[in-house]
Amino acid sequence: MLLQNTFVDALNDAEWVFPLAECVHIGGFAIGVGSIALVDFRMLNLGLRQETTARILRYTELWTIVALIFVLFSGATLFLSQTHIYLINQIFPIKMYILLAALIYNFTIHRKVATMENPPPALSKVVAIMSLLLWVLVVFGGIFTGFLE
Amino acid sequence: MSISQSLESIGFLSDFADSVLVYPIVLSIHLTCIALFGGMILMTNLRLLGLTFNSVTITQMVTNLRPWKLVGGTIMIATGLLLATSEATKYALNPFFWTKMIILGLIFVHGFVFRPIVYNRTEELDRSAAIPAKVKVAAILSLVLWTGMFTMGRLIAYWE
Repeated sequence: MLLQNTFVDALNDAEWVFPLAECVHIGGFAIGVGSIALVDFRMLNLGLRQETTARILRYTELWTIVALIFVLFSGATLFLSQTHIYLINQIFPIKMYILLAALIYNFTIHRKVATMENPPPALSKVVAIMSLLLWVLVVFGGIFTGFLE
Repeated sequence: MSISQSLESIGFLSDFADSVLVYPIVLSIHLTCIALFGGMILMTNLRLLGLTFNSVTITQMVTNLRPWKLVGGTIMIATGLLLATSEATKYALNPFFWTKMIILGLIFVHGFVFRPIVYNRTEELDRSAAIPAKVKVAAILSLVLWTGMFTMGRLIAYWE
């Protein structure tokens, strides 16, 4: 069904769509994950220590959300232009599960602890490390989707 | 034997290119650095443009994140060198690779030009009411150059 769609055909025909979508995807995750990482670095006491975590989250949140929307849309474009390859790829579904976990985690537990008035330092650190780990795994998943079948 | 061929034939570099797993792992580390430290570069520039982090001083933003950007930049260059030298004969003919290297050179030029007048004078900037034009120019150029960097980086894969 998906493969017969005219929009998908247009994607397959245009050679520049895939590399362009990849560039948007990379630029988007640099901003999205990078802005989340700034919050994590603060939670780990490693950067921007003069500010509270909650404040850093407030400054970065809009950038994170807008960037992640670009990442999701460009990702969907990549998927739709090569659906048959992604559907048989063994790494791709793993990446999607980790991505889903990272997204849910980011807007629930991570957000909750980042906006807490006085969170226990150990809790902040564990939550930040978990966040960094999830996003790094998503990046690794993306590269490995391209390299393994 | 050309320089690129001799580079490729260095033992550990050819083992590296032949390995199924090592190349994507190094590439993933390269991209993880883009995500973690590219975000810092972006946020610093947005702060210079007055678009976010307004209650944080420019001084804090620049001095706090500088060591991390250096760490990130070092890892990025190290992993980038591994990637490029392991397939040196391919990269040597790739125009996107050379464009990327020119942009990298321009990023260093940007640093030399704007460090003394912007990034090392943040306290002065924090005291001034409006954002001086040179600061905006520095921030916008930095954003343009880094966008060029990752775009060319991705396009390297498309040259045959």
